[in-house]
Amino acid sequence: MATKNDNFSSLANIRKKRIRLAATVFLLPTFLLIAVYFIYPVIDTFVISTYKWNGISADRTFVGIQNWVTLLHDKLFWSAFGRNVIIMVFSIILQIPLGLFLATFLEQGGKKYNFLKVIWFLPYLMSSVAIAFLFTYALATNGGIFSSLASLFAGKKVTVDLLGRSPHALFTVIGVMAWQYTPFYMVYFLAGYGNIDPAVYEAAILDGATRRQYTRYIAIPLLGPIFKTACTMSLIGSLKYFDLIWNMTQGGPVNSTELMATYMYKLSFQQFNMGYGSCVAAGMFILITVIALLFQKVFVVKEDY
Amino acid sequence: MKMKKVMAVALSLSMAMSLVACGGNAGSGSSDAGSSDSGSADAGSSDAGSSDAGSESGGAKQTDGKNVPELTTDDMTITLWDIATEEPNKSTQEAAVARFMKDYPNIHVEQIHQQNDNYKQQLVVAMSSGKCPDMYISWGGGPMAEYYKSGFADDITDLFNKYDHPDFIDAAVAQGTYDGKVIGIPFGSLSGCDVFYNKTIFAENGLEVPETLDELEAVCEKLKAAGITPFALANAPKWTGSMYYMYLVARHSGNEEFDAAYTQDGGSFTSEAFLFASDKIQDWVKKGYFPDGVNSLSPDDGQDKQLLYDGSAAMMLHGSWMAGSMAADSQEWYDENIDVFRWPEDAEAKAKGVPQDVEIGTAIGNAFNFCSKGDQAKLEAMYVLATQYFNDDQYNKEQMEHLNTPSIKGYDAQVTDPCMKKITEVFFNASNVQLWYDQYLPASVTEVHKESMSALFGLEKDGKQIGEDQDKAMQEAIADSK
Amino acid sequence: MRDKKAKQAKGPKKTSVAWTIAIILALFWMILTLVPFVFMILNSFRKQFDMLQQGVFHLPDPWYFKNYTDVISNGFFGYFLRSIIVVAVSLVLMLIISAFAAYPLSRMNFKFRELIYAGVVAMMSVPMHVTLIPIFKLTTDLGMYDSLKALIGPYVAFALPMSIFVLVAFMKTIPRELEEAAEIDGCNRFRNFFTIILPLSKPGLATLAIYNGVAMWNEFAFANTLIQSPSKKTLPLALGQFKGEHALDIPIILSVLTLSVLPMIILFIVFQDKLVKGMMAGAVKG
Repeated sequence: MATKNDNFSSLANIRKKRIRLAATVFLLPTFLLIAVYFIYPVIDTFVISTYKWNGISADRTFVGIQNWVTLLHDKLFWSAFGRNVIIMVFSIILQIPLGLFLATFLEQGGKKYNFLKVIWFLPYLMSSVAIAFLFTYALATNGGIFSSLASLFAGKKVTVDLLGRSPHALFTVIGVMAWQYTPFYMVYFLAGYGNIDPAVYEAAILDGATRRQYTRYIAIPLLGPIFKTACTMSLIGSLKYFDLIWNMTQGGPVNSTELMATYMYKLSFQQFNMGYGSCVAAGMFILITVIALLFQKVFVVKEDY
Repeated sequence: MKMKKVMAVALSLSMAMSLVACGGNAGSGSSDAGSSDSGSADAGSSDAGSSDAGSESGGAKQTDGKNVPELTTDDMTITLWDIATEEPNKSTQEAAVARFMKDYPNIHVEQIHQQNDNYKQQLVVAMSSGKCPDMYISWGGGPMAEYYKSGFADDITDLFNKYDHPDFIDAAVAQGTYDGKVIGIPFGSLSGCDVFYNKTIFAENGLEVPETLDELEAVCEKLKAAGITPFALANAPKWTGSMYYMYLVARHSGNEEFDAAYTQDGGSFTSEAFLFASDKIQDWVKKGYFPDGVNSLSPDDGQDKQLLYDGSAAMMLHGSWMAGSMAADSQEWYDENIDVFRWPEDAEAKAKGVPQDVEIGTAIGNAFNFCSKGDQAKLEAMYVLATQYFNDDQYNKEQMEHLNTPSIKGYDAQVTDPCMKKITEVFFNASNVQLWYDQYLPASVTEVHKESMSALFGLEKDGKQIGEDQDKAMQEAIADSK
Repeated sequence: MRDKKAKQAKGPKKTSVAWTIAIILALFWMILTLVPFVFMILNSFRKQFDMLQQGVFHLPDPWYFKNYTDVISNGFFGYFLRSIIVVAVSLVLMLIISAFAAYPLSRMNFKFRELIYAGVVAMMSVPMHVTLIPIFKLTTDLGMYDSLKALIGPYVAFALPMSIFVLVAFMKTIPRELEEAAEIDGCNRFRNFFTIILPLSKPGLATLAIYNGVAMWNEFAFANTLIQSPSKKTLPLALGQFKGEHALDIPIILSVLTLSVLPMIILFIVFQDKLVKGMMAGAVKG
């Protein structure tokens, strides 16, 4: 009896060791790259955040936690964070359901709708520079699409100023972001559908389910883990968003689209305030990581078959 | 101690800004003295210089016969950063470097065109990694001071006094000077800031060029009645709206109140002229003198020019580069429709004796700063490159062809484009050229100023509020440099 | 009226009402995605002055082709080629490395697994701009500054955390029995990975290839920081040639953007089928 148990435990030990070895080998390249490209910069950022430094000079002054104290009371930072959260919430409730809808449509519609797949995907292929330019014009008060349409319906010249005023600008940008990123989630959910074991589909059809019933009652629930990662990606993406905002509004008008990332960028690279800029970056990093990890814990889906 | 320094900077800048030759007085006096003998020689011999360059026989150099330092015969590499990514600047500036390398074959200039949008970021990255380029473009003002204080911009006062250089206009030298030391060599062009207007629309509506603010408002009213937006302003980047603010302040108080607000020594951005400017602008916004959604329109996307081109607006206060920009879009339309007038005077202030000839703009355009890291031979080579090859006759000729006026004495007389002629005249008749606030103020205050302009035109804050915001930022910046 | 009809129509017809609504929505979305794209192309065939004077939403009048000849004669194909090389190399490396990492994280139990996974999520949260200076220093120290090689490291590294994260989710959905069966047959984990896991992860890998491929294709910040010679620049930097301090030729920029997006569209058309087929194809083979 005892020997058998020993055998078992040593076998289990060997197995454990083997797994550990395999895991290490598989993870090694990632560890190396992350160490070089992430760990050092992140540590550096935290170190710089304790200095008063213009970003270029050889001498910098150690100020301890002074920058962090400022950050805690920095209205600009916290309101930027608030806008990031608004963007996050709206990105998740706009992009993901829309993406799921489009993917489901294509999944249902079959091959004959493949042309739609390509057309729908176009926005994601365009660079932020192009998108910013096209939307600045589409939204322009002078000859833009919305103003022209409104004038057409009203029968007189009406201007719809979507980008130039405080509350509207942020929501306009959220709309443009949804336009840009929804296609990605469409492709993502399509891949999710493609990932479902065909045996599941066959079994469902054999049991007399229609394709639509299969999608609704079997396929979509099976997308659980995919759905969760999609939300996480959208969440992190919205919290560190920079490109389109920078190209479209640079945070204006009157800070109404200023986000954490644009605020950090201005401080670090334009206002010679690298010390505080790094502090903002570090704060941003902490906030995003905490929110993302909390989301992982709170949003539990069945992950295994 | 540091506060004193800030004061000194402010003083030397504002003094040096004054265009009227201030001879060998305070501040930049020594450099002026230098420029007056060597510089005029250069301007005088400009014809001889070009014929030299034309007949390239033997080892004749463009710099032969000039008082320039003897350059090293050893091999040397100079890295140069500019922002001339696009034509025509690219060709003009590459040609200047090519002429230099032809005359000094042992010196290789590695000329790198950086993109303007990210240029400041690139410079921060390079400097903080100890890879500062040997010579690089800057725009003077706050950032140049920062580079100097951090040890990335050499003091070239001695070279400047000792050797030949073009006879730069004094304001340009002043804007390249910090703390009484010459740091930047201008190589761009001067930029005035005036009102471009559609003369066809003016003629059709029987309008005259306004000379006072009251007349300007009357013109605006008539344009409004004719269904035309008076001003083509695209205020998304905020420095465009700032032009209106700066001019209203300047006409109402000359330089006095701005200088006082800059030092925060008894002055304030809430003083009378600033409130006057803010109220005026908000009044005009309410009356519809600016296009709807002014804060969303972007000049980078040409949305202000667009308003002029399609006839929906009649006037545009803008930097003089707009002339070249519009001419490049359509020379024909530009010639036919565009003329220019200087910002109207404030009759009330004038009656009180406030000078009406303070203009807004930049005398320096672009400047080269040098980071030789103690390598005197290299510094001398760069000095020769910047003063004798950039800024030479060929270079200036090409600049003029593209409606840029070099910041060098005498070129104002050669301007032929009618709009540019007027702009240059206004510029040279100014008692003082105030550098754009957004380049002049410390970088942190610039940001607040820009957001203030956005709030002002968006009617989100009034003059008092934005004044207080700017005061607070200015005070913090002064405290910071202590 | 409509209500009545809906009530009368039972079962299948009811879903066809839903289908009609879906089609209407789908067409609406099609217009939304197509319109800006069409205007990008149309405006690239105009002169800047015409575009501004006639308005952006106006057909080219007259059609103007010089933008394209200008772009092409300014070394466009060089930019193009270099972009293809950088993106292709980075993408392949990135997919292999991230699949490697995702495999143990999704299908093995070992100490620190949760911690490593949390670390991956944390790395996704790093704002890109804080790495600019350290990476610039690293690149110059390694003597790779101003070469295409310099871009591959950051491109791979920055795509990794997200890719691992996504692949873990995909790999988790692969039935465990498949792997266990193979193990009984004597396959070790490395063979398992290449024969079972990798082929079955195709949809995930394809999605990641699209997501990161587009991002790398349009990447500006690193390229702009790490490369300076015109002969080494990638496509997103080509725009700079037509953009100055005060000058900007929008139609020419749009023609660059149009030319840069075309190959992406073609690739997508060619490979879009792979997205759905992954699992099925893999299962048939197995």
